[in-house]
Amino acid sequence: MTPSHDDIVRTVTEIVHREIGIPVDRLAPDLDLRGAEGADSVKVLVMISRVERTYGIEIDDEDVFTLATINDVVRAVQAGLTAATTV
Amino acid sequence: MMHSHPIEPQPAGQAPEATGGEYLPVPWSVLADYRCFGCSPHNSSGLRLRFAARPDGEIDTRFRLGRGFESYPGIVHGGLIGVICDETMGNLLVLRTGLTALTTGMRLRYVTSMRIDTDYQCVARLLPGGPEAGSTPAGVGGLVRAESEILDADGALVASANATYRPISMDSARQRMDLRPEEFDQVEAVLAATRLTSAAPVAGTSH
Repeated sequence: MTPSHDDIVRTVTEIVHREIGIPVDRLAPDLDLRGAEGADSVKVLVMISRVERTYGIEIDDEDVFTLATINDVVRAVQAGLTAATTV
Repeated sequence: MMHSHPIEPQPAGQAPEATGGEYLPVPWSVLADYRCFGCSPHNSSGLRLRFAARPDGEIDTRFRLGRGFESYPGIVHGGLIGVICDETMGNLLVLRTGLTALTTGMRLRYVTSMRIDTDYQCVARLLPGGPEAGSTPAGVGGLVRAESEILDADGALVASANATYRPISMDSARQRMDLRPEEFDQVEAVLAATRLTSAAPVAGTSH
């Protein structure tokens, strides 16, 4: 069963919080994470790896460093889930 | 929970000596001189990885690699990360199903570089959907998915991998491998015994 948009937002927000360390209440879905305190390329990759394994999807490397906000990551998850279920 | 292995300087490619003989014997070790680059103790240029069971059906291996495995000065060649992840997932599959399998695809996510002469751990688990432990030959031909990650001594992620394996029949394995019939019979007996005992989660066994 494909998770709802809100479920994905919640899960991705939790992963970003855990991997990058920004408090959940400051993690607006449109917050630009690239400039956020504590965010570096290693943490971004850890976050991406966690998201990929949580949903069993693969996010293209070209997209990894262009994903700026939680909304962007959510769209990438949805695209990955769609790709995974498209025969 | 991470095992506590005594951390002593180790020759390149050697895993720290574990206490209590908790390493799992891989089926191929029944052959006197098997040379697997990943796990054979007889391959002096190999990684000589050893595997320990984890309570939740996973296995792990601990390792530190010296300059012989370097790419940039002080940094382990990234290709070794693929070898270690594939070796750990592959051995988990053999230990859990008693089947011989070939890797059909693997995807790596490199998070940060691996340092030489530094301790790391690789943890692997089978993903749902594949042939379960103690699988019947029906598992042959189906695909098994697994994932693994490499962690540093603090538990931070260094790389993650997921892979797909295709178990092959004993006849197919017999044709592909350079083994005398009696040698293959030895391996097949061990694999069959592995299939029987692997219905329960993989438990630590002494050598």
